[in-house]
Amino acid sequence: MDFDFNEQQNMLKTMARDFLSKECTKARVHELDKDEKGYDPDMLAKMAELGWTGLIFPEQYGGTGADLLDLVVLMEEMGRNILPGPFFSTVALCAIPIIKYATPTQKAKYLPPIANGQAIWSLALTERSGRFEPSEIHCSANYDGKNYLINGEKWFSQYAHVADYLLVVCRTGEAKRNGDDLTVFIVKAKSRGIKMELIPTIAGDGQCRLRFTNVKVSKRDILGKVGKGWKVVDYLMQRAIVLKCAEVSGACQAVMDMTQAYAKDRVQFDKPIGAFMAIQHKLVDMLTDVEGLQYLVYYAAWLLSTGAKADMPVSVAKARANEVYQRVCIDGIKIHGAIGFTMDHDIGCYFRRVKAAEFMLGDTDLHLEKVALGIGL
Amino acid sequence: MDFKFAEKEEKLRDEVRKFAISEMRGKQVVSGMEEESRDEDWEFSMQMSKKLAQKGWLTMAWPREYGGRDASFFEQHVYINEASYWGIPGSTMGVSGIGWVGPSLMIFGNEEQRKKYIPPIAAGDPDGVWCTAYSEPNAGSDFANIQTRAIKNGDEYILNGQKIWTSCAHRARWCWLAVRTDPAVTKKQHGISLIILDMKSPGITINPIVNYAGIHIFNELFFDNVRVPVANLVGTENRGWYHLMQSLAFERHSIAPQFYGMAQRSLEFIVDYCKVTQYNGKQLAADPLVRHKLAERAIELDMLKMFGYEITWKMSKGVIPIYEAARNKAYCDYVMQRLATTGTDVIGAYAQVDIRSKWSKIKGNITRLYMMFPGLSVAAGTDEVQKNIVGQFKLGLPRSY
Repeated sequence: MDFDFNEQQNMLKTMARDFLSKECTKARVHELDKDEKGYDPDMLAKMAELGWTGLIFPEQYGGTGADLLDLVVLMEEMGRNILPGPFFSTVALCAIPIIKYATPTQKAKYLPPIANGQAIWSLALTERSGRFEPSEIHCSANYDGKNYLINGEKWFSQYAHVADYLLVVCRTGEAKRNGDDLTVFIVKAKSRGIKMELIPTIAGDGQCRLRFTNVKVSKRDILGKVGKGWKVVDYLMQRAIVLKCAEVSGACQAVMDMTQAYAKDRVQFDKPIGAFMAIQHKLVDMLTDVEGLQYLVYYAAWLLSTGAKADMPVSVAKARANEVYQRVCIDGIKIHGAIGFTMDHDIGCYFRRVKAAEFMLGDTDLHLEKVALGIGL
Repeated sequence: MDFKFAEKEEKLRDEVRKFAISEMRGKQVVSGMEEESRDEDWEFSMQMSKKLAQKGWLTMAWPREYGGRDASFFEQHVYINEASYWGIPGSTMGVSGIGWVGPSLMIFGNEEQRKKYIPPIAAGDPDGVWCTAYSEPNAGSDFANIQTRAIKNGDEYILNGQKIWTSCAHRARWCWLAVRTDPAVTKKQHGISLIILDMKSPGITINPIVNYAGIHIFNELFFDNVRVPVANLVGTENRGWYHLMQSLAFERHSIAPQFYGMAQRSLEFIVDYCKVTQYNGKQLAADPLVRHKLAERAIELDMLKMFGYEITWKMSKGVIPIYEAARNKAYCDYVMQRLATTGTDVIGAYAQVDIRSKWSKIKGNITRLYMMFPGLSVAAGTDEVQKNIVGQFKLGLPRSY
């Protein structure tokens, strides 16, 4: 048993912390939250140069062949600094299933531009209900003998408005149970028949509503097999969940750090407020939650990286992340008092992202249900 | 990063499991020192101690010269976890001897003391059963406040005073005792000494304190001019507080795996119960509310498991954990409370049935857990005291008490 990062992971962590604290300042985050594109193309280009976008790609596709745990290290730092932009949607939600399910031709075509930082991708999975069960997919793709025609709606697609490509999950048959007859399509974001609107969200994090009207897609642009789309979704979800949890874990660490510092600094009744037991014990509870979450995320990531089945640990991490992120932010704001309630203070940047993280890739109830299955209920 | 146990650790887990299944023969799970109460339970417990000693497990952490087998921290982790999962009584033998008396004597006891006191502990003998007397009526969380006096008179100490919450005193052959040897000190942590007390000495009165569940674990001890040879002083006179702080380190890594084992078994009992119990025409296990509550408990247990791994790993790396043990203890208390109350929610009205009644559910295990958890959470430091430690030593916050 070993809780340590390896040398490469430690280097990556240091590099990420240096780069992000310099490039992705909170002032920049505040600007990007209000920016319509929602990201900084120069920053993305620099991250690509550092090898981050292609970190887990095989070398032949312009990557460095790192594993999921390495990406976890990076995501934790991105969460700590709340990096706005399409890194997660491109790499975690789209590149991961491409690496696993794409044909060699598709990989050669789509992966190198991602590694180079030239292509942005968005996953178009959830619909009106915003939920992550196969039964919620209604968007259809019907074969007309030559092409598939996609019709329907997708909601909460991250950074679709700046994306070059979309992964669109469609119903290609009638069976509505167990995700049978769902298929994943690679679709050019600027294809005819796609209408995009930004959904104004509290985080300003580029989530879009997409409407598809007879959008033509060739058979060649299917990812994986026809009718086996949920397998692709399940695969990407497990990994993307762990990465999202790593991001949340990093964010929680940052909130913890700033709140701890504030409790030492802020004096009332002639004492730092951290000297009062009510405040101190709240901070200790926060710390316990934050450390626990961190270990649960590492555990799930490690299991996945060994190729083991990890359904329950993944859901444990996500259910926990949802809860801890919210609780740590709320307690953090309370300890800060009125200043924590202002637009200028950094803690609000984290709090504004709580709901986006929570409802991405399965809410708490969905994952509790998976944990219940995991313990034999 | 790697969260696998090594092969020899897994092998040990397997051996302990086999041992538990064959030796326990369906005996009840014991949560926290209950075996000290009834004579027949105590007798069984001592038989088990002996067998565990013969297996080389009882004091496996100790060096070979003291009857141990130099087991690694991870082997200890696995053994403690598994023994606790099966509720093997006798694995702690009244806690003190194995937990800290032996290890403390190895560090600051003298050669004579080691020779005399350590072997019976390692052998699982009744002469190796110890109790620990720290707390007093006015020295609970504020332990340095102890008043029990030991006055040196030639080659003897004369003891007078009172101890309380002394578990196992009614079973113990020896007592690991903290007394005040110098009252004229400016700092109350000074002037405390550690003394080995023969429980057969004249002048000791033991009063049982029966807990609200009818179980006799605690005692009150009264000392009326009890004479103790000076040779029974452990370490340096008046430095007892510092010896004690050091000796607390010995049980640090065992808290999480021990509680985790007990909690894991209880959760499994509850899950099994849900599968065989019908309510409203369907399995209790199909009730979404029950499913979610139990899933939440399972998540908390997973977190506790990780905390246990973490502290064991740190110790295996030679790091002396400070705040981690306090964090784990406070979190254990939280987890046990949530599990016990959820468990009673699940068994419903049967939660109030006496644990030995033919009508009790899950062999009374949930009721037992429910009755015991508040006591376990106070023992060895309340969660408030634990959180103070974390606040000061990890978060670097000012003392809050």
